[in-house]
Amino acid sequence: MKREISFNVNSQQMKLEVESHLRLIDLIRDQLGLTGTKEGCGEGECGACTVIVDGKAVNACLYPALELEGRTLITIEGLLEEENKPSVIQKAFIDNGAVQCGFCSPGMIMSTKALLDKNNDPSDEEIRIALLGNLCRCTGYVQIVESVKAAASQIRRKS
Amino acid sequence: MKKFEFYKPKSLTEVWELKEMIPNSRYIAGGTDVMVKVKSGLLVPDALISLRDIPELKNITVGENIHIGAGSTISELIDNEQLQTSVPVLIQAAKRIGSLQIRNVATIGGNIGNCSPCADTAPALLVLEARVVVRSGKNIREIPLQNFFTGPGASCLTSQEIVVEIIIDIPNTKTKAISMKKGRVQLDLALASVAVLMETDGNFCKKVRIAAGSVAPVPLRLIEVEKLLENSEITEEKIKEAQQIAMKSVSPISDVRTTADYRCQLVGVYVKKSIQSLIN
Repeated sequence: MKREISFNVNSQQMKLEVESHLRLIDLIRDQLGLTGTKEGCGEGECGACTVIVDGKAVNACLYPALELEGRTLITIEGLLEEENKPSVIQKAFIDNGAVQCGFCSPGMIMSTKALLDKNNDPSDEEIRIALLGNLCRCTGYVQIVESVKAAASQIRRKS
Repeated sequence: MKKFEFYKPKSLTEVWELKEMIPNSRYIAGGTDVMVKVKSGLLVPDALISLRDIPELKNITVGENIHIGAGSTISELIDNEQLQTSVPVLIQAAKRIGSLQIRNVATIGGNIGNCSPCADTAPALLVLEARVVVRSGKNIREIPLQNFFTGPGASCLTSQEIVVEIIIDIPNTKTKAISMKKGRVQLDLALASVAVLMETDGNFCKKVRIAAGSVAPVPLRLIEVEKLLENSEITEEKIKEAQQIAMKSVSPISDVRTTADYRCQLVGVYVKKSIQSLIN
């Protein structure tokens, strides 16, 4: 059965009819057409589908779509700045070679955003704890941690 | 995957009304276990009834004793300053659960109610002698956690009942406790886990509670080890003996993660290390 839910996605208020058995990842990719969010394992192990709901990083593959009612969702598309320029975090990932095949990157970047929104000067350990639920099978994690630190220092400079 | 209905009741009363209307329905809180089981076909419900936004399940209060609403997420536990001070061993165990994405949605009620032998909060809650409050309509029961689990994935709950609250008596300020977990990597399920709570006077053990996870059909207290140590002087010999008895008190299985023998070894070593760290 379909139900209508209203929510905010990437700063836009929306009303949408959603099938009750769908997961948030299905809603994001198939209904909203926001294909930046990836589905990896589909069981909460890999973090490729990480999005931010009400300020917290969650796995969109484990989140029932109807739970979005009344909440605020940010996907990787919501990070773009004016004229579709990459955000500070995205730029830092590119500049530090943290992207190889790119499949884990949207999730990594969303976990990074959730972290830096709360703490713009995280320690190495805090970064690794925040990104522990995001697996990368190409580059390893050194460049990724470097990118998070670079983004954090940029954000501190701006604030 | 079979299609199912999804309901978001606003109160517990509404929850039970729905449950009665749809017999083949399942409760869902954070969904980190239920969604995986639904996807894999292990669960084929006609409907899921969400407990996520039920205000009655969300309170955490620390007064004479500690009441933790079953719908509190693991992240909410970890961020709660009163819990950090009053039951650090629970926070230590909570931090070892899955990833941040999991902790942000998974609930303490779910961790207990799912009845996994490897439930990460179980050993800590067992040594704290937590009680589980379960409710169905007007019927309320308070069950010592020790008697709650009946087997892997099974508890003494009826299909209507919901875990609504965990109650813990605030431990005496002289007690210290520790929780240890071995997983292949941090976010993995426990190969074995141990929690120990102790009240000591020098090397004399006045009170001890020991529990283990992933080493038996249910998370369990190691009563024989407790008996050995309580009201006695803790010596190196005693600790060795405790380690041996701990290994004999468990009945682990071999599975894809590791062997029964290694799980036994882990429990022994963790019991030893925990006691050593608590008396020093």
